[in-house]
Order: sequence, then C-alpha cells, then structure tokens
Amino acid sequence: MKKFDYLKPQSLEEVLSLLNQFGTKAKLIGGGTDAIVMQRQNKISPDLFISLRGIPGLDHIEGNGLLKIGAMVTHRAIEQSPLIRERFPLLSEASGLLGSVQIRNVATLGGNLCTASPSAETAPPLLVYEAEVHLISQKGERRIPLESFFLGPGETALEQKEVLKEILLQPPPPNSRGAYLKLGRRKAMDLAVVNVAVLLTLNPKTGICERARIALGAVAPTPIRVREAENIIEGNQLNDELIRKAGEMAKHTCSPISDIRASSEYRREMVGVLVEKAIRQSLT
Amino acid sequence: MTEFINVGKRIPKSDAQEKVTGKAIYIQDLKIPGMLWGKILYSHHPHARILNIDTSEAEKLPGVKAVLTGYNIPTIKFGFYKDNTPLKSNKVCSYRDEVAAVAAIDPDIAEEAINLIKVEYELLPPVFDPEEAMKEGAPLIHEDHLGGKEKKPTNILNIPWKLVAGDVEEGRKNSDYVAENRFKVTWVTHCCMGTSGCIAQFDPRDNLTIYSNTQIPSLAQRDFTEALSAMGLQGKKVRLIKATIGGAFGSKLDTYPYEYIAILLAHRTRKPVKIIFSREEEFFATSPRQAAIIDIAQGCKKDGTLTFRDVRMVLDNGAYTSWGATTPSVMMMPISSLYKVPHVRYVAKCVYTNNTYSQAFRGYGNPQATFAIESQIDSLAEMAGIDPLDFRLRNANTPGEVTPQRFKVGTCGLRECIDAVAQRLDWRQNRGKRDGRGVGMASLIHVGGGARVYKSDGCGTIIKVDDFGTVNVITGATDMGQGADTVIAQIVAEELGVRIQDVVVTHTDTDICPWDVGAHASRTTFVAGNSAKMAAKKVKEQLLEVASRSLGEVPENLEIRDRMVFSKIDPEKKSPLGKVLRAAHYTTGGKMVMAEYFYDPPNENLDKEFKGNLSVTYAYGTHGVEVEVDKTTGQVNILKYIAAHDVGRAVNPMLLEGQVYGGAAMGIGYALMEQLVLNNGKVINPDFRDYKILTASDIPTIEAITIETDDPFGPFGAKGIGEPGLVPTAPAIANAIYDAIGVRIKDLPITPEKILAALKGKDSK
Repeated sequence: MKKFDYLKPQSLEEVLSLLNQFGTKAKLIGGGTDAIVMQRQNKISPDLFISLRGIPGLDHIEGNGLLKIGAMVTHRAIEQSPLIRERFPLLSEASGLLGSVQIRNVATLGGNLCTASPSAETAPPLLVYEAEVHLISQKGERRIPLESFFLGPGETALEQKEVLKEILLQPPPPNSRGAYLKLGRRKAMDLAVVNVAVLLTLNPKTGICERARIALGAVAPTPIRVREAENIIEGNQLNDELIRKAGEMAKHTCSPISDIRASSEYRREMVGVLVEKAIRQSLT
Repeated sequence: MTEFINVGKRIPKSDAQEKVTGKAIYIQDLKIPGMLWGKILYSHHPHARILNIDTSEAEKLPGVKAVLTGYNIPTIKFGFYKDNTPLKSNKVCSYRDEVAAVAAIDPDIAEEAINLIKVEYELLPPVFDPEEAMKEGAPLIHEDHLGGKEKKPTNILNIPWKLVAGDVEEGRKNSDYVAENRFKVTWVTHCCMGTSGCIAQFDPRDNLTIYSNTQIPSLAQRDFTEALSAMGLQGKKVRLIKATIGGAFGSKLDTYPYEYIAILLAHRTRKPVKIIFSREEEFFATSPRQAAIIDIAQGCKKDGTLTFRDVRMVLDNGAYTSWGATTPSVMMMPISSLYKVPHVRYVAKCVYTNNTYSQAFRGYGNPQATFAIESQIDSLAEMAGIDPLDFRLRNANTPGEVTPQRFKVGTCGLRECIDAVAQRLDWRQNRGKRDGRGVGMASLIHVGGGARVYKSDGCGTIIKVDDFGTVNVITGATDMGQGADTVIAQIVAEELGVRIQDVVVTHTDTDICPWDVGAHASRTTFVAGNSAKMAAKKVKEQLLEVASRSLGEVPENLEIRDRMVFSKIDPEKKSPLGKVLRAAHYTTGGKMVMAEYFYDPPNENLDKEFKGNLSVTYAYGTHGVEVEVDKTTGQVNILKYIAAHDVGRAVNPMLLEGQVYGGAAMGIGYALMEQLVLNNGKVINPDFRDYKILTASDIPTIEAITIETDDPFGPFGAKGIGEPGLVPTAPAIANAIYDAIGVRIKDLPITPEKILAALKGKDSK
C-alpha cells in the first residue's frame, strides 16, 4: 500500500480550502470502507486523505417535507432512523443490507454514492425516490439529480474540488408503495449480483398506476432508471401481462457485463425476474 | 455403555477463554528481538523462462538486509515428489512461483524492496487443462520429468494409482442397470482464520529454531533437517515450536517454499526472520483442494444390489507436487468400500499444469470421490425404480465385512445413520414431489482408527505427576483448534481418576514432545487418545504401587477417584493423591511418578495393489438435507440439515458437534458457493468478497446425531470425527436439488446459474 498523509479538518470551509490547495493529490475519505481497500489494492494512490469525519453539518437526518441526509450519515444510522423507515422504507431496507453491522457502522451514504459502484446498495432506492445531491465547492453550491451524478463505474459528476454535502429526498406522492430486492450469492456480506427498486403510485379508486419508478443496479456502467419499463405500466391498470412486459423491457434495456459474480446472461435474466417480483410485491 | 466421569461430558475447550478474549498467541503475534521481516516476489506469468533478475535497486534500499533469488541459494528440493524449490531459477511454472525474497527491518521496506526487483521473462506456452496437458506435444511443465515405459518427457506424474478388485467387466455384464457420468470438482481453499507464517532463527552454532503453525511437527522437523543438510549444515538440529494454530484443515500438512525462504533469509542475515502471509497470499500462494475430472460407472441388479463400480480420474496437480497427489489413496476408500460392491476398479492420473499446486483438504480426496459416487447412486436408484433410501439400506456396509480393498469393518453404524436421517427428514412423506422442495441424502466411510499412510502411524505421550497431583501430559498430538488438548485431558483424567483441571497438556515443542505423524486422517482422538490412555494406565500403576505402601493395601484393591486414593475393600484406608505422591517423593530412594507410551495402531500400509486394512476401524455417517429451490433465480435454500455420524463414542459431545457443524458448513460451501477461480492460471478472487464462504446467516441449523457403536479399539470406544462432517455434504445437497426440481448438477459448486441453465435445458427437451 502506498503511504499517505491523513488530515482531519474541523469545518467544511477548511475541507474546501485543503481541496483547493492539494488538488489531485488529495482524496476525500468518509468511513473509509471503500477508500482504504482501494488504496491497499493500488486502485487509488493519493498522497493525502482528507477526512470528513466529525465535521459539523454532514451527519444530519432532518426535514419535514424535503428530507436532508448529510453525506457522512452512516448506513447503520439510516437503517435505524424511524423517520427514514417510515417515509423512505426502500432506502432503510437497502442500507440494512449493505455489508455487515460493523461496516454499516462506519460506511457513509455519501461514500457509497461517491464510490459510484454500479452495484451501490443505496442507489436504486434513491433513484426511484428521485433523490438530488447537494454539492459544494469554493466556487459555490449546486443541486443535481442523483441520476446525473453517476457517470460511469467509479465516476461521478463531482468535480475535483467539490464535496458532496447532502442527499435530498422529496416525499413521494401519496399512495406510493415499493419494493427493494437484492440478489446476492449469500445472505449477508455480499455485493449485489442484481439489485432492483420499484416505486409505484396507485390511484386508490381506480387502481391505475399513475406513476412508476424502476431502478436497477449492477447491470450497467452506473445504477440506472429504466423509463422504458416505467412507461409500460404508467397510466395502466396492472395485470400479469403488463408486469411481464415491464420485466422484459427492463431486461432488454440494461447492459450487464460478465464478471466473477455472474454472467451477463444471468444478470439480464434476473433483471426480468426481479423487476416482475418487485412490481408484484409493491402491489401487495 | 459404561458411564464415565470425564469422558462423554460437554467440557469447553481448554483454550476457549484465551481465544475469545484475544489472548491466545498466534504466529502473527510472535516477535523475537532483532527480528527481520521477509517478503516474497511471485511470478508475473504462468509459464516463462527467467532471463534475468536485477536485484540491485532492492539491495540499495536502506533497511534491506538480504535479497535472495534462485541463483544465490543452495539447491534445496522438497515436497512429496521432490519437484519444488524455495526460489525458482531457470523458469517459472505458475503464478505462485517464488522468484525472489527480501529480508528487511520492517514489512513496509520489505514490500518496497520486492517492488524494486526487476525480472525479465521469456514467455512459454502454458497449459491449464489437465486433459490437454496429457496430450502429445503439450507444453511441458518440467522438461526433465520423464515417465511412461519409454521414459519420455511427460506431464503425467509417475504415480500409477490403480486399484482393481474383482472383475468390473464381469460386474457390468451382470448388471440390469448401469449409470455412467462425468463429474467435475474444482479448487476450493481452506480459508483458515489465521494466515500462514513462520519465524526462523539460527543459534550461533547453526542450529535452527522455527516457530510455525504446522500440523505435522515431526515430519516438518525432518523436512527442515534435510534442508539444513542441503545448505551444508549437516548434523545441525531443528527445533520446531508451534504457536496457537488458527485453523489448518490440511493446509499445514506439508512444508512450503515460504518456510524454506525464511530459513534461508535467517541464515543469510544471522537474524530471526518472520514471514506472514497477507490474506491475498493465503488465497493464491497456498495449496487448495484439487480440481478433478471424474468418470464413473456403477451398476446394479433389478433389486438394487450393486454389481460394480468403475472410476477413472484426472487430477489437476498444478505445477508442483504436494500431498494432494496422494489423495487418490483415500479416494480409493469410498470407491472400494462405501456400500457393498463386489467388483471395483479405480485408475487416477495426476497431471502437471501451470495452475496452482494442490494439497490435502479435510477429507483428503474423499469429498470429491463421494460427490460422484453418491450423486450417481441416486441416478442408479432412479433407473432401477427404487427409493434411494431403500437402495442405500440394501447395500449398506455391515459389521464384520471385509471390503474389496481388504478393509476389515469392525463396528459400523451406517444403517443406523441412514435410518436416523430418513426419520428426521420424514423421508417417505417428503420425497419425490418435484415441487421445488426436495430431500436428499448421502453417506460416507472414512478412516476412524488412524491411517497408516506413513511408515509409522504412531504418537508418543509422556506423563509426569507432581507433588500436588498436577498431571502434565506431553503429547505428540497437534491442537489446531479442533480441541485435541481438551479431549486428551479428558481421557487422561478419566483413566487416572483426577479432575480435568488437574491435567495440563503440552504439545508445542519438538524438543520436548514425542514423535507423532501429524494431525491428519481424523486420527488424533483415536491415536493420540489411545497413546495418552496407555501412558496414563502406566502412571496409574505407579500411583497405586506407591499408594499401596503408604496405605498398606495391595494395588489391586486400590482405586483413584476425584483426587483420592482409597481401598475398595476397606473404605477407612484412603489418602489424598497429593499426600501419597509427596510420601513417595520425600523418602529415602524417593520416586517421582512418570511414564511414557508410544502407541502405533495395529493397522496396515496399503500393499502394492493398494489393498490392506488401512485403519483399525472406520467411521460412517449419513447427511440428509431438505432444500427449496427458487426456479426463477436458481437459488437454493437449505431448510433442514441432518448429520448423523457413527463416532464410536463421543468423548466430548460438544466438541464433536463442533466438528460436525464446521464440517457441514464447509461442505455446504463446497456444494453451493466456494470456488477458487483461476483464469489462465491466475487466482482472480483472492479475497472474501469474491471467494464466497458461508456467513453465519447462511449456515442452516445443523442437527448433529451421534450414533455410538463403542469401538473396542478406540479410547473409551471413540473413532475419528475430524473430517467426516464434510464428506457427504455436496452429494446430499445435489440429491436434494434433484428431488426438488429434477435437474442434476454434476460439477461443483452448484451455482444458481448452473441450476437455471439446467432447468432451461430440461424445459427445451
């Protein structure tokens, strides 16, 4: 492992100024469950890690309407937050499936998103909730949809001197229900072979699906929304045929690769299976 | 059966507190003043000629004390086939080939130095498929390796494994049904919690002390003594001291390049040198269970009576040879002797490839062979239209039988095991529904009373008793986490009539402990246990002798119980054991009580035809599984797991169940998810992220059923149980999957992808 320095600034301003000063030589570190592993494997090799730990204003879960989650909030905190469990249950569920309790105690939501793994545990739920990310640099602040934050495996829209400050969640329309499904090889401590989130808004009177959000992980260079599949069910009364079609569409829209965890064929097949299953679960 | 005071009791492991509080000292924890850190540079190619190694930059790095390559060390050949060397010169034959090594004042500098070594290679064509490697004109792994009648260069090892008993052609002719299949098994690795490591240290007179976590202290001592001779240090001594071993499972049944490298670095620098494997090294630079291709045919009569078993195997040996190449000697056991089969043939070839070289792994070949045999038994039963349960009962081994390999079956609880599993699974009710849920079973035979694979199968014990009644047991046995210390203490306490806390077991130092062939073949409770029991018997005779003098009673009338010596005839005549001991010690011509015993079981080496009574007694067992298969994802969920074992007698039911749980968990991993993935010779999953072992959440509730047959040869009736727990697991699961969804997976691991593909194939037919 390449040797590195470790700085623990006290404020966000200090972080931004350090980023300005060290540029590409520095890398931000949250819980470190990805960064240190990558450093050990020589996949990254910064001279300096700038820690975000303990910085005020990054570890909050708050808001009545719009929910704000600080980038340094751990998966354990999300998993155990009654607020999130009640209002954004899919995120709560996904957070509780990441790694082990020990890892969830340190791994942060911001870290999970900035690592930008195609199989990122929290990404599909956040995508169906149409989350936005709040980014900040010395030049200013901006809010962009999470969907445009992911650019490729390990690549995000975050600029070099920019920090992910918080994740913003608008409450979904009333009568929304969803499901998060993760397919792994074992029951814990596993990366998703495929993960799927579905969020449906159903008209309680007509039963028509007024709004559908479907997101997939581990089957494309980034976590993705599959609008083609959403469009099939939106505005319709759901039946077996439509659900099957949506699954089929999702299957054909994704672009999985073969790796040690699964073949692309299997992943594609599983997208169909899981999307169908998640839609059905959302209806019950 | 007789009830005992210490034997048969659920006594926690003697080192449990140390382990759970982090106080046990593993090789990782050991430090010696002045110690240097060794690090190894491995090959960058699976097969290449070494043109040049430039170590100049590494040597210049401050803190580096020595840089070794195959070109500046003496020639040391080691391994079962003497084809391995500590550092490779001329060429590399696999990615794990050691090319250079460094000793430095800290591990970071050692690592930095390794990265400064430049090696020039000329690539050679590799071969990774053993069947390809057997062909004429295949790249030769070792050009000077000659074989066959014409003594031509070949990749096929000169170890002609061949067992023939009866006439399989005759058996085939007499069969009403014959099943023929090809099964494949792949590499899996031991995943010991403690990674490999050692510290080598020379004294000023060139005697070596090596701190190690070996399973074979006596044989390793011998290997290292040979190495010293090759280094020009004839007649020098080797002392081997074991740290607490963090799991072994067969991985530490041999000596490895890193140990010789530590010795060479220590000798070169005149300082102690420590080498500890990283987890990644543990995955790619230690030896897994081998991959094998198994062609098997079995036949039966209409009534299900087995007629013959004919097995051919090709084993991927990898580039060098460890004991893995001798696993066919154990594969022969289930092939010849699991169920009654009159005609048997087994032929196996071990073939050099540019893959990692293989080693022993819990079961020593038995799980691979049993996977093929027991999967196919179900197919054969189906062909004959017989319930696999009835099929097994019809052919089950029985006490008194002599098997085609000339094993003399003594106690045998196989039927009881099969019955217990059937009953717990509600077999008749649950079998044959094909509704996504299914049940399956598979059985095993294994050595249970030692295994004479070496010239001696013995183990020595020395016992001394101090003035206060503390009993020091100095054993050749190795505790590698299985609980040997505890079981030996129970046996000695039982025999002597003392409390278990009075017994202290020492097993860590070859300068102190007697010889033992090693912690393998599930032999420690049986062999070291018998040895300890016999030594304790001698000690007891001495104790009663000295007590008879002070109590005025003949020894035959005396008994020791709970630290007291008393007369069986006159209860008034009694004395605390310590008092008796002190009286014997502090008198003119005083006596200390101590004794030794070397127990070598009355078993036989296999003869030239690979026949003979390898073990004094045999262990049997049956595992039964109920699974649920998700036909949409191919995922298998284990609903019920029953493991019934004929254990002779459970000396410590808690530790015994621990062995069964651990074995079954490893076996489930072998069946469903574990696989060391080699891509053109390179291990591409050297971590626990992608080498999937079961987590606690994945391990189903395992119900261990103990069948006690009270073996007349075992210590208090016990047989071995170390390995059996994982032998029948994979076929039991494969059979349950077949029962659930009607597809048979014949290559391990049984992944969801394979199940789904098989289901699709079935649908399209």
